[in-house]
Amino acid sequence: MPDFIAVARPSDLSDPGSLLVEVEESLIVLIHAGGQFYALDDVCTHDGGPLSNGEVDVAGCTIACPRHGAKFDLATGAAKTMPATKPTLAHEVKVEEGQIWVRLSGQD
Amino acid sequence: MMTATAIQGFTQVDFDAFLALRAEEPAWLTTLRKDAWQRFEALDWPARNEEEWSRTDIRLFHLDRFAMPTTSDVAPPLAPGLLTHDVDLAGQLIGYNSQAATESLAEEIASQGVLFGSLDRLVIEQGDLLRPYFDREVVNRSKDKFAALHAACWSGGTLLYVPKGVAMEKPFHALSALGDGGIDLSKTLVILGDGAEATLLTETASTSETDSGLHCGSIELIVEPEAKLRYVNLQNWSKGVWHFAHQKATVDRNATLQWTIGALGAKLAKVNQEVALTGPDAEVQVNGVMFTEGRQHLSYNTHQHHQAPYCRSDLLYKSALQDRARTVWRGMIKVDVAAQRTDAYQRNDNLMLAPTARADSIPGLEIEADDVRCTHGSTSGRVDESQVFYAMTRGFTRTEAVRMIVAGFFQQVFDRISIESVRVALGEAIAQRVQDLDQPTPSAN
Ligand code: FES
Repeated sequence: MPDFIAVARPSDLSDPGSLLVEVEESLIVLIHAGGQFYALDDVCTHDGGPLSNGEVDVAGCTIACPRHGAKFDLATGAAKTMPATKPTLAHEVKVEEGQIWVRLSGQD
Repeated sequence: MMTATAIQGFTQVDFDAFLALRAEEPAWLTTLRKDAWQRFEALDWPARNEEEWSRTDIRLFHLDRFAMPTTSDVAPPLAPGLLTHDVDLAGQLIGYNSQAATESLAEEIASQGVLFGSLDRLVIEQGDLLRPYFDREVVNRSKDKFAALHAACWSGGTLLYVPKGVAMEKPFHALSALGDGGIDLSKTLVILGDGAEATLLTETASTSETDSGLHCGSIELIVEPEAKLRYVNLQNWSKGVWHFAHQKATVDRNATLQWTIGALGAKLAKVNQEVALTGPDAEVQVNGVMFTEGRQHLSYNTHQHHQAPYCRSDLLYKSALQDRARTVWRGMIKVDVAAQRTDAYQRNDNLMLAPTARADSIPGLEIEADDVRCTHGSTSGRVDESQVFYAMTRGFTRTEAVRMIVAGFFQQVFDRISIESVRVALGEAIAQRVQDLDQPTPSAN
């Protein structure tokens, strides 16, 4: 199982807000919403567009793909609305020692 | 004494140092390189809003992690490659990090006027002969920033030149290898004169499974009237290699080309493969065999351009995908007004071995002539569980069953490949990869 990697500081993100980070060989969008941090692959499963810069909905706990508007659950990556039907990959996040740490999942 | 400046990246200083190492090259080539370098500097990297790049994310690609090729890398002992098992070769070229390491060519072949070996060396020795072929600019040197970079800084590479009327029975073989963090900017140039015949097998390799690296290359195949070329290129870089390539064949009157592409490696591949049928009755068959796994991303843009009447082109790409791999195939058949009686076909089939893999197929036609037959198709399917179940009731393990289904899926394209060693190598390489299916995936979700 991969290790947690420090990717940013909590103060780097407003709430709500998002930040694109490079973790190992993946592009991950880090999201701050309702006091929580989340990490998703920066890939929309509808047509492969990037999710970064998408609108974060705190109440619905989703991020919307800027291209055609598909929404993904911040915690699980599940596709919540069309046109996406498949989940994007969600990664484990923790905040410790003043840093945000991400552990990549799906490393095959 | 002059000391050469060490090449460290892709700046003007590096480019000047790169040219200084190539002072023996003909002046016309230096001019081509300088022009291309200016275009490279002027062009932007492809953007996501360009249709061709909309599905291929290169934001993680950083050119500054690599440096222009030098002439001082020493090749470690390299594995012989996959394609030449039990094959009697006419000549062989092994390259490492964009430089020739070893070359051989049978004397009785050289004496017929055939040139084969390092393009770096041969462009110096045979500059006048080769210049017209460079001037043809088969691959557009300004197509994008990668094409310009390659045209400015290509290094190493392979030349096969077969003069008019000479038929080569035995195949030629070229292997390009990359070391960890290495760069390969090699160019392949094949020229078959009128009525000539030859087979060239090329393949790539990395020194280890996980090496990082960059390949930014080109392939130019010039098949003159009545000539016959069989060309194979197997991309087998490690899973850490960025692979950008522009590849184009031009096939003249009554000439034939069988072009087989195998793609197993690379972290991300973006390849433009183009065939131009420029004289009446030219015939091209394109075969693609892809197997992707992990988080590989392979993107192929194919283009069949019919410029003359009575030509036939037939493209079949087959990909199997496992894990979170992704393929993008965008195919175009273009038929000019002059190309009446064209018969063109393109097809892409994908076999998904995991629900998390993804294949996009985007065929396209652009037809200006009115008396033509152009057809296309694409399919994406999963392994049929009832077939797996049936095979398991007959005593096969799940892996064996899936491997048989995968072999069956590729059979149609293997049947078209007329070179046995290539069929065997691709079949074995794919079977080995499918074997991993039985092992539990360490996926966390
Ligand atoms: S690419 Fe995201 S909704 Fe279409």
